[in-house]
Amino acid sequence: MAADPKTRFLVVDDFSTMRRIVRNLLKELGFTNVDEAEDGAIALQKLQGGGFEFVVTDWNMPNMDGLTLLQTIRATPTLKHLPVLMITAEAKKENIIAAAQAGASGYIVKPFTAGTLSEKLNKIFEKYGQA
Amino acid sequence: MSDFSGMEDLLQDFLQEAHDLLSDVDNKLVDLEKTPDDKGLLNDIFRGFHTVKGGAGFLNATELVTLCHLTENLFDRLRNGELELTAELMDVIMDATKGVREMFGELGQGVQPQPADARVIAALQGALNGELPTSGAPAAAEPPPVQAPPPSSAPGGEPDWASLQSAITGEPVKAAQGELITRAEAEPVKASAAATPAVAGGKDTAPSPFGRRASDRPAATASNSRRAEERGRENTIRVDTSRLDQVLNLSGEIGLTKNRLTSLRADILAGKSDSETLHALDQAVSQLDLLVSDLQNSVMKTRMQPIGRLFQKYPRIARDLARQLGKDVELVLAGEETEVDKTMIEDLADPLIHLIRNAVDHGVEMPDERAAAGKPAKSLVRLEARQEGDHIVLIIADDGKGMSAERIRAKAVDKGLISEEEANTLDERQSLNLIFLPGFSTKTQISDVSGRGVGMDVVKTNIQKLNGSVEIRSEPGKGSVFLISLPLTLAILPVLLVLLGDQPFALPLSLVREILPIDQQRVQEVGGKETLVVRGEVLPVISLAKLLGWPADRSPEYGVFMQTAERSFILGVDSFAGRDDAVIKSLEDFRPKGVAGVTTLSNGQIVLILDMKELLTDFSQHGDTGMAIRNFEFS
Repeated sequence: MAADPKTRFLVVDDFSTMRRIVRNLLKELGFTNVDEAEDGAIALQKLQGGGFEFVVTDWNMPNMDGLTLLQTIRATPTLKHLPVLMITAEAKKENIIAAAQAGASGYIVKPFTAGTLSEKLNKIFEKYGQA
Repeated sequence: MSDFSGMEDLLQDFLQEAHDLLSDVDNKLVDLEKTPDDKGLLNDIFRGFHTVKGGAGFLNATELVTLCHLTENLFDRLRNGELELTAELMDVIMDATKGVREMFGELGQGVQPQPADARVIAALQGALNGELPTSGAPAAAEPPPVQAPPPSSAPGGEPDWASLQSAITGEPVKAAQGELITRAEAEPVKASAAATPAVAGGKDTAPSPFGRRASDRPAATASNSRRAEERGRENTIRVDTSRLDQVLNLSGEIGLTKNRLTSLRADILAGKSDSETLHALDQAVSQLDLLVSDLQNSVMKTRMQPIGRLFQKYPRIARDLARQLGKDVELVLAGEETEVDKTMIEDLADPLIHLIRNAVDHGVEMPDERAAAGKPAKSLVRLEARQEGDHIVLIIADDGKGMSAERIRAKAVDKGLISEEEANTLDERQSLNLIFLPGFSTKTQISDVSGRGVGMDVVKTNIQKLNGSVEIRSEPGKGSVFLISLPLTLAILPVLLVLLGDQPFALPLSLVREILPIDQQRVQEVGGKETLVVRGEVLPVISLAKLLGWPADRSPEYGVFMQTAERSFILGVDSFAGRDDAVIKSLEDFRPKGVAGVTTLSNGQIVLILDMKELLTDFSQHGDTGMAIRNFEFS
């Protein structure tokens, strides 16, 4: 999977300002096909509707948090192949371990710049390209 | 200069959303006092601070990040049961929340927040270490909770940390760890939270990452928050997209109808005037009529906001004040979903704060008094909004001691606001209304919230500026109720059209109580002034012609019973032209006294909307009926 500018992203965060930030950063990197969800539960609904190729999700959210979303995605046959980039405010080791064990494709700590995001995305694209 | 050039939009969005979040946190904190073990609440509050922190990071608002981070950690401990929520801890949390709000104020002015009050930071860090600011608190006896191991500690017995991390960061282990450490250093939050030894009350323990002295802060706080308050008006508004879609739809349809009219015009100009064409024209015009009024309504609706956004911050204010006064008060909200024009919401903030403070301060008794009166120790203050017809009604009700008409009369006489004789003529309702007189309330109450003193008279004036009215009901021993009635919107004013000769004038319908014929036989002269007795009440008759300085060549045939803030009277007019919903056009450069604005009638005629209050003030000053009005001022 190459860094196709048409890649369809789903940005999941309960804070709309944050969704906008991520959306803007993605736009800066040339990705304009972005949809948003307010929490894990809504995200899952949208994902099950199909058509998404990349999930960028916050960790701490009401209803369904990012980790549960990730675990659910990995446990769902139609979704488990999706790359999932976790965004959190913590660089805590426990969190990173939990995310990795749940099958996160990447992990990024707030605040970040377009450069950092691009780096993380490219690594994930590379990894998925190899697979 | 703004510290946020290029990020203004982001900052605006952040502030609006973060303000809402913080109000929500405030309310949850009040709830938490009742149920300190509620995991759901603890979680929500944790997430509130966490989310604000995340957003603040993108704005490089380091100080805000620091404060939120510490508070968030505190809630993490609380929700994990590692700390116990005591009254002292609650105060620390409240202070931290206040600090966050002040920082929002600074951000709102486009400057990076100053470091938080050193004492707050120290108290937070102390609490995190299990030391509370007040010695002897129960939680202080507990052993300090175990700190999470710093990331650099040796990974003994952990899962395969290195490879896991490498798997998701996609980097060689060493580099990845390096990155982690750099991050931790780059962010003073993490460094200070982990490394600064916290000593409660110690001035020098607060992190001052950029060399600013933390002790500069307290002095700056007051003026900063004042400025923040003054600049607090939001210029942006959040609108449900479905409402905007409706506006879009309607403008689209208006476009289509306009096209239809254009083609009909071409036909008619070409000489076509058969019944079919005229019928089509009639249809198109009627449709346009309907669409335009729908569009007006839809546009109006985009300005409507749920009043809950305003209500949100009051439970906290009531709680803080009650605590300060040693009372136990719960503010109960109802009807938060009621929608009110945005500008009105802003202008209601101060009067409502004052009425709530008034209820908590003067309305509600001290716990022992309540016990003596056989009432439950906790008092309830109810803040409710609801729509009644084309009005919004706001209710502030307390279950306190109520107001004594007699004592209010005595106080008013005492202060020389009314004479002994005047006092004797006042009934219960009129007596209660005395508290709205300027100079009645002696206490210059400086509101912590608004930062400026408002008296009851200001409350009334502010409500009247919104074309609303305030009414008091009180039952000694049971409590008082303030009823505020407001129009749905300020952009459209329901008016009564009256005629002087052929000239129409518009009067705000909100002031009109009833319309009655003036029978010259029944007009009595009292002290040289014309009066009329309406159901036992003696009311002065003021002719509109006289008020406007027109020659009064004939006696008015009809009277409009009007009630303004200070007085009731009968306005004499020649006739009526009906009622109308006036779209007010203000006169910007030229504003004659007594004219609130103008509106256009359906026939294109321009009508002046009269400002009764101003007209009457002017009139009284000229002395004509000044005394007569003065006598009935409280009717």
